[in-house]
Amino acid sequence: MSAAAAATTQPANAAGERPGSGMASTVALATLLLGPIIAVNGLAFLMPVFNLLLLSFRESLGGSTIGEAYTLANWSSTLFDSYYIELIVQSILTSLMITALTLVASYPIALYLHRSKGRWRTFLLVLVISPLLTSAVVRTYGWIAILADDGLINNMLKAFGVEAMRLIFNKVGVVIGLTEILMPYMILALLAGFGRLDPRVEEAAETLGASPWKVFWRIVVPLTMPGVALGCLLSFVLAVSSFITPKLLGGGRVFLLATEIYDQAIVTLNWPLAATLSMIVLVIFGAALVLYSRLLRAVI
Amino acid sequence: MEDRPVSPALKIAAFVMFAFLLAPVLLVVPISFSADSYMSFPPSGWSLRWYIELMDNSRMIGALGTSTLLAVIVMVLAMVIALPAAYAIVRMRVIGGEALLALFTAPLLLPTIVLGLAILIVFAGAGLLATFPGLVIAHLIIVLPYALRVLTTSLSGLPIIMEEAASTLGASPLTVFRRITLPMMMPGMVATAALSFLVSFDEAVISLFLTGPRITTLPVALYQHVENQADPLVAAVSVLLIVLTLAVVLIVDRTAGLTKTFVK
Amino acid sequence: MGTAQTMQPGFLSIRSLTKRYDTMVAVDTLTLEIPKGELVAFLGPSGCGKSTSLRMIAGLCPVTSGTISIDGKDVTRLAPYRRDIGLVFQSYALFPHMTVLKNVMFGLEMRKVPVAEAERRAREAIALVRLEGREDRKPAQLSGGQQQRVALARALVIQPSILLFDEPLSNLDAKLRDEMRAEIRRIQKRLGITSIFVTHDQVEALSMCDKVAVLNGGRLEQIGTPGDLYERPATAFVASFVGRTNRLSGVAEGDRISVGGAALRAPGSRRGNVDLMVRPHRMIMTPAGDKGPDFDGEPLNSIGGEIRDVYYAGDILNYEIQAGDQIISVERATTGGETPMASGSPVTLTWRVADTLVFGAGQ
Repeated sequence: MSAAAAATTQPANAAGERPGSGMASTVALATLLLGPIIAVNGLAFLMPVFNLLLLSFRESLGGSTIGEAYTLANWSSTLFDSYYIELIVQSILTSLMITALTLVASYPIALYLHRSKGRWRTFLLVLVISPLLTSAVVRTYGWIAILADDGLINNMLKAFGVEAMRLIFNKVGVVIGLTEILMPYMILALLAGFGRLDPRVEEAAETLGASPWKVFWRIVVPLTMPGVALGCLLSFVLAVSSFITPKLLGGGRVFLLATEIYDQAIVTLNWPLAATLSMIVLVIFGAALVLYSRLLRAVI
Repeated sequence: MEDRPVSPALKIAAFVMFAFLLAPVLLVVPISFSADSYMSFPPSGWSLRWYIELMDNSRMIGALGTSTLLAVIVMVLAMVIALPAAYAIVRMRVIGGEALLALFTAPLLLPTIVLGLAILIVFAGAGLLATFPGLVIAHLIIVLPYALRVLTTSLSGLPIIMEEAASTLGASPLTVFRRITLPMMMPGMVATAALSFLVSFDEAVISLFLTGPRITTLPVALYQHVENQADPLVAAVSVLLIVLTLAVVLIVDRTAGLTKTFVK
Repeated sequence: MGTAQTMQPGFLSIRSLTKRYDTMVAVDTLTLEIPKGELVAFLGPSGCGKSTSLRMIAGLCPVTSGTISIDGKDVTRLAPYRRDIGLVFQSYALFPHMTVLKNVMFGLEMRKVPVAEAERRAREAIALVRLEGREDRKPAQLSGGQQQRVALARALVIQPSILLFDEPLSNLDAKLRDEMRAEIRRIQKRLGITSIFVTHDQVEALSMCDKVAVLNGGRLEQIGTPGDLYERPATAFVASFVGRTNRLSGVAEGDRISVGGAALRAPGSRRGNVDLMVRPHRMIMTPAGDKGPDFDGEPLNSIGGEIRDVYYAGDILNYEIQAGDQIISVERATTGGETPMASGSPVTLTWRVADTLVFGAGQ
């Protein structure tokens, strides 16, 4: 590991740094400084992920026993099995729906934040960021309190004499909960992409006779597309891989890729299959990323 | 620049969505003071019984202790590991520094469920499953990207001329770092420490793969409790977590500026 | 005189100093000698290599080739903290987390001066820059001018062998800049510290410094006293960069130069295409046909033209005169009550042959 660092280090002198320290000592110092993080990263990130990739080509012999030979069995049994195909398609569709809802819910907040100033803006930002830093378990629990049979919404419906609805332990609950969980990410991504939105441009459109509605659709939306693309990428990727919320709000009745990975890894102990499903998640990530960069090139 | 007036329609839409965003977090506060023995909202009466029950719940209290100790150790280690790395990347202009930074922040891009599984399999072979050192290493992997990002941003924001001035005044590189660079990085370091603590303290998914009956963290204990019964005990724990989060957010805002840390 | 003196070894001796980046040469074989106690300006347009040279002298930027020695000791490869140099930065570079006193004491602390003595000397330095009573302030509580004084005190207090100034006044407003110029000159003279002052402001360089080194494109064009530079510029660049000048192109044959239709003369003898330069205020303008000035019988040049434009600039009137295909600018001090000559009037410009500077064309 340290050899790799040494090889990637140039003497500070060549980059226009201070003289007085030789090339060898600079390389040695940089290696020393980067050594610990390279070690942690290599041992607990690169190595495990590479191992996971290899494992997806090995056979499970029941329990946590793994065969020695390499095989495509896991890949063929997931990619040609109607259950897994359905699982993958459902995961993607559900994630897309959640992404769309998250965008609709986040856009007004982001636009409002973009147009507010000073302490008020800081306060609103704290409101956006605080949920991000609050454990997903806590927020999911809050949704259980709202959506449960004896929760806020159903008790309100009952008070109005409306029949209670099943909002939890099904896909409805998962979609509502995840939408809220992902909103802070979407809002921050939108804000980052709102830089091009200059109020002067909107005013120019108004002086040219555009109604507020027209200004919104013809000026604001196109100018904020980079932020929208980034936010959607982030939300989609997080939705596909989210686990806590689908598990708790789905009550074991909603099956998505992430929950299946956990079950295969912890309950069934079929690690090669779990590894294969993980790789499929990564492939979906890669596809989303490619789509995103295409989209970005198209809108800018 | 003049403000553009915010239209009432936007105000209303933003307000409704803010309510949606904050509802679950806000709702746990009244529930934690419920007198009911199961969760319902609104509660039929108010009491402190769930806080008292929490004090008597040895599993939750034990997990709280584990999580706190874990978060403190991870915070310290993240600082010790990330600070030299940030210095090497920013100040020594290591070749491929950008690539290294991308590599070190890559764990953030990987879904935690995949990362958790990958670490589980390797740790199982190394005997690190359900051990404290195992949890420390796994948490470091997800905390280090945050720490490195905040520290490199903080360091590259510092004008180098103060350090040059110190060296022309006779300070050796180590003295320059200790007397000039480090004190000027203070806000960034506070933000790093706070964020590291919080990320470790709140981490649930990877911990879920690595904990067991012998050792468990608070988010995992909480998750497992909700899986079985969603009673107001969880709300009491949640309120404690929210208060802690808020305290950390305030610290970061006061020292480093919240906006600067999270919004580019 | 200027060129003769540079051959003796100085207190600060720079030999063939070169800084090369990947594709460009920032400083090109710079050689100069600075005697003890002198204040020398490095003057030039931005990108001329003056700041890079300064940073190499300070040790903040590695040298590609050449040597730097201070008081006979080669310091070319020495780390900055072993060089005993004071540097005053353009943006002050005060330590924001330390008080004024701590900032000034820092260098003494690094030199292991006992605390009591360090504090006494720091207070003296603070008094020298007239900041008594502000010892316990943080830099952020001071104005720009005050911060620059602290930076000066911090660099002075260590009694460095060389004091370097990197455009120290360019962040200050005009009035403060004048005050600080006088202040720096006063202190530098009093302490007799050999100093280099980097600036792109020619007024600053000429009015403050014992000598001025003009740099252009990484090369030293000329080093000399302000008078040398102005009256006897060695190159066309120096002539046009220091002070204002009119540039005419002509063809030389011995001491005769034909510019358009006019036959002019200049000191010395040359042949071929040349550039001819005359300071605007050294030319006397008279209506065509009038008797021109006689300059006590000195040899004179004159050229005829027509006024194309007149600009009023308060203390001077600036005439632009079309002479053949050349434009010549002439200044006249305003006296009040005069009527400027009208555009289109034919005029004659007269000046001393001695005020005619000639350079090979295209320099």
